[in-house]
Amino acid sequence: MELDALKQTWAEYDRKLDTSIRLNRQLLLAVNINRVRWPLRRFTLGLGLGALIGLIGPAILGQFIYLHRAEPRLALPAAALDIWVIAMVVASIRQMAMALRIDYDKPLTAIQKQIESLRVLRVRIVQWAVLTGQVVWWIPLLIVALKGFWNVDAYKVPGVNFLAVNLAFGLAIIPLSVWVSRRFGDRIGRVPMVGELMRGLAGYSLQSAADRLAAIAEFEKETLES
Amino acid sequence: MTRPDLQETFQKLVEEHKRILYKVSNAYCKDRDSRDDLAQEILFQLWRSFDRFDGSSRFSTWMYRVALNVAISFYRSESTRTRHVISDEQRLLETADESQSQPEDVRLLYRFIELLDPLNKALILLYLDQNSYQEIAAALGITETNVATKINRLKTRMRREFSGTRQA
Repeated sequence: MELDALKQTWAEYDRKLDTSIRLNRQLLLAVNINRVRWPLRRFTLGLGLGALIGLIGPAILGQFIYLHRAEPRLALPAAALDIWVIAMVVASIRQMAMALRIDYDKPLTAIQKQIESLRVLRVRIVQWAVLTGQVVWWIPLLIVALKGFWNVDAYKVPGVNFLAVNLAFGLAIIPLSVWVSRRFGDRIGRVPMVGELMRGLAGYSLQSAADRLAAIAEFEKETLES
Repeated sequence: MTRPDLQETFQKLVEEHKRILYKVSNAYCKDRDSRDDLAQEILFQLWRSFDRFDGSSRFSTWMYRVALNVAISFYRSESTRTRHVISDEQRLLETADESQSQPEDVRLLYRFIELLDPLNKALILLYLDQNSYQEIAAALGITETNVATKINRLKTRMRREFSGTRQA
């Protein structure tokens, strides 16, 4: 089979396609009217929500840090939470801004590189958020919440031993989560979202994004062979 | 151009070039529902970018560029995508029985296209649709020499893959 000979067949088939396919007029109109607005609304909503969390979270935590500035054992866990929240908001906004900048009418290799870079960023954010989040959102949150809401000193009740054991356990979970994702990711990750998370934690998503970036670079590379 | 005028022009142009929607979705998706999902996604992105179409290239070239970019991104995320079951009324592209209407050569060509990676798929579709090397190079973001090299490679690969197909 010769590609050039098939070009002719393809052209004839193309002409026939005109009569054998029909565009759904209603859907064509709906695209113009409705669908374009929804992603923009979703983006604005996401941005608004992010900004709200980004303002309220650090404001509450900032006040807590200020009130307990002389007690590092209380101020430091609040600062850890504060940094986590701010970093997440900044990362999310950056991600959304990058996504909005994707302009599909630019050359394929440029856009695909942009998309893969965004994917790398997203995978890193998820990895970082899950692995550090399960430490920050347990013991530091417990210390801050007990003090802030009920004026209970977590270092007395439930006690330093409890805090230390749980903190150590939380830290140990980080390499354990990566190991579990690599070892059992295929079995427990059949649900698409769980699978994506498992692949992200295991580092596979980063690897495949890197592979795709390499494939694009290879495609762009000029070779002398003909 | 006012918004209603823009919408009308867009609809007219998409109607004229609906074959591109069909061919790109057919090349990148195996099942019918995914193909229609992809066609809708392409249409949406076309509309989103339409006000930036300045007419400096042919509409078909521009449409191909957007469609292929969406298709490659869609193709990569297809494994994790929630699949929709699309009813006939929700289908963007209504087609006559494809297996009846596709000539044998076109079926073989689609089989060959299926074997290619996403970027080479884009290259061969642009080539088959009579785009010049210059247009293909601009759409892909590579040089014309590179386009020529890759097309030659695809020709050789096709000969190798399908040697004996005709005789069989």
